[in-house]
Amino acid sequence: MTAVADCALDMRGISKIFPGVKALSNVNFAVKFGTVHAVVGENGAGKSTLMKVLNGSYAPTSGTIKVGGTDVRMRRPADAQALGIRMVHQEINLVPDLTVAENVYLGRMPGKWTFLRKGEMVRKAAAVLDELGAGINPRERLGNLSISQQQLVEIAKAYAAQPRIIVLDEPTSSLSEHETAALFRILRKMRDDGIAIIYISHRLKEVLEIADEVTVLRDGSMIETRPIEGITAAQMIRLMVGREVSNVFPKSPAEIGKSVLRVERISDGTRFHNVSFDVRAGEILGLTGLVGAGRTEVARAIFGLSRLVEGTVSVNGRQVSIKSPSEAVKAGIAYVPEDRKGDGIVPGMSIRENISLPILRRLSRFGRIRRGADRVLAADYVKQFSISPPDGERRISLLSGGNQQKAVIAKWLAARPSALILDEPTRGVDVGAKAEIHNIIGQLVAGGMAVVMISSELPEILGVCDRVVVMRDGRASEPLTRGELSEERIMALATGEEAA
Amino acid sequence: MSDAAMEISVNPDRFTRGSKLVDALSKAGLAFAILAVVLYGSVVSPAFFTSGNLLNVLTSMSIVGIVVVGMTFVLVVGGLADLSVPATIACGAILSLGLQPMIGPLPAFVLAVGLAGLIGLLNGVLVGYVGINPIIATLGIGTIGLGIVQAAVGGVIVYGSNPASAEFAKGRLFGIPVVVLIFLVIALIGHFVLSRSFWGRWTLATGGNYSAAEASAVPVQAVKAGAFVITALTAGISGGLLGLTLQSARPLIGAGYEFSAITAVVVGGVSIIGGFGSVPRAIAGLIFVQLLTNVMVLDGVRTPIQGFVLGILIVGAVGMDAALRKRGVA
Repeated sequence: MTAVADCALDMRGISKIFPGVKALSNVNFAVKFGTVHAVVGENGAGKSTLMKVLNGSYAPTSGTIKVGGTDVRMRRPADAQALGIRMVHQEINLVPDLTVAENVYLGRMPGKWTFLRKGEMVRKAAAVLDELGAGINPRERLGNLSISQQQLVEIAKAYAAQPRIIVLDEPTSSLSEHETAALFRILRKMRDDGIAIIYISHRLKEVLEIADEVTVLRDGSMIETRPIEGITAAQMIRLMVGREVSNVFPKSPAEIGKSVLRVERISDGTRFHNVSFDVRAGEILGLTGLVGAGRTEVARAIFGLSRLVEGTVSVNGRQVSIKSPSEAVKAGIAYVPEDRKGDGIVPGMSIRENISLPILRRLSRFGRIRRGADRVLAADYVKQFSISPPDGERRISLLSGGNQQKAVIAKWLAARPSALILDEPTRGVDVGAKAEIHNIIGQLVAGGMAVVMISSELPEILGVCDRVVVMRDGRASEPLTRGELSEERIMALATGEEAA
Repeated sequence: MSDAAMEISVNPDRFTRGSKLVDALSKAGLAFAILAVVLYGSVVSPAFFTSGNLLNVLTSMSIVGIVVVGMTFVLVVGGLADLSVPATIACGAILSLGLQPMIGPLPAFVLAVGLAGLIGLLNGVLVGYVGINPIIATLGIGTIGLGIVQAAVGGVIVYGSNPASAEFAKGRLFGIPVVVLIFLVIALIGHFVLSRSFWGRWTLATGGNYSAAEASAVPVQAVKAGAFVITALTAGISGGLLGLTLQSARPLIGAGYEFSAITAVVVGGVSIIGGFGSVPRAIAGLIFVQLLTNVMVLDGVRTPIQGFVLGILIVGAVGMDAALRKRGVA
């Protein structure tokens, strides 16, 4: 085999620009046949975007892609599949009511369904599953399998398509240690078959164990590709976070008062356990960790959007039992959700109608919204937060992401909470709006509010927060004070790897 | 008003201008359509533009119209449709006549409406709190309710026994039929609640984005349930009036009213997916459909063709809603 043919994938100069955001910047990424190539990076470093370019979901803004030495252009996932590229996503993408065999061959039924012999399909599926040593009955209904077995079916499905390149996105997030070992045996077998395997994971220990090469992404750029020999977890962490922590998010000094919101040993029974922290008046508490660590779930449970099975929440020293958002508002807690489009705004309504929503009752007399009451309220916040365009009657869906977010924050300030939980408040907003939002948060704490800020962005966490709690796998660390904060320390807690 | 107009001219925004234009068109469009039907009707049938005919249309429209007011809430809150209307109408009609000998006409009417409301509460709990699909829930509860009503009266026709109440329901006040006046009052109340009260705003928010409304401390489950209670109450009133006017009620008296009401609301441009609509719009839809049907009847259009035309109207209106949504989101 020649050197060129060895190269399963060669992506050169890949950039991807979304309106207002440069998600990938001139990334070079090459993978050889018969190797496992790990891709690591923080949340938002560009891993998913790069993989979406690779599987045809996104067209790159610039750059070239070669698969097996040939220039290709992919417009949709089907194009990537035709080239032998298969993705195994973190979430299970299978049909629970079909059998394992039907799922493995779903969408690739040769010829017509009517003429397909079921027996042949089952035999072929059984062969693939055997080859992978999965130990799963192809006639079983998929829904009856455990999550980890379903994950294996996903991999079998990709393998059965005889791909040249397989992308695995966080494949071990739902697997036990034992199952992970089994998965790795399968991956080694596929590698020995000559398949190029791209392995995306936050678990650096696994990367060290399975990968032949590792590529580090950071802020949409490729930082380095290295053979796995001679690199340590600590070095990888340093490469992942290694930017200068500039003082772009200055926290305005605020007097820190007594504890406002205190949660003690709360659990929801599944996604987080035994989480405790408290946040004081004038303080910004950061809550960080990798995506899926349980941060949002904690916030939603405190706000009454889901149930706690254990633990207590108290506001201003008084224990409260919150079963719905309106009870949370009464107790003095507000929550700006992570998914702005899904949970933050009512798109068909105006800025005025959105901002006044949580306190409509207070604005009403005998059930009727007092004439102009919501208008005055909205006008105040539009001015105070310089929401643009400065027109409370504008439909909120027509605003930019940053202005929508300011309106969502305004919505909650109108309710005058004593504690405010912000979930990724600056995600997807441009730099200018980001600074404005940080400013607003600064004003709030200066006014004595207690703020919990969930963020995946470490510079933001480091710049804005007084103390930081790191979550991993549904558990929270002890709070780190400003003196103890560093990106390395946080990443180490978030990934469970102790940095050197 | 002039301030708002200034804002827009100072702040030209393609999207806003576009949506304002579309909005105006969809409002004016219905007005034009009504006008066109009136003109056409006047030309093809001498009987159409007579006070007798129009008053007839108005009276029969009012009975459905009361249900339309309630059904508007169900569609706006994102509750799809209430198919238990025939049962709640029957409940209103049969009980308000059947209970007359025992407790008198007014208490009978109130009790009938109250029990209809109870059916609505059951619908509301199933849809809002338990989370069952509204079509299935209201179909099931409606069938059960109708069965109970039928069993209660032994499957026979119930007749009125209080001529005074019949007189009242069929009477006129200032030359306007009482039924029409009641419809107008209910429409005004419905309009006020939906457009001016916090409950109405909650209803629009819940239909517009359920999760965001929930996260904004709107009691979404109660709001959703409330829409079904409102519809059941209006249908109960409508049924009671129908019974009093006809002075007889059989269990299937309300059959078909659910679809007439849904047709009117949808043709009026109220979104079937929720979050958008108003009572005046729904009533404009009702006027249009009723006049069109009347003209077709007078013009001797055959029944299958009438159904065909109404079907096209519904599909067209829903299609337009979907198209507008797509543009609104993009």
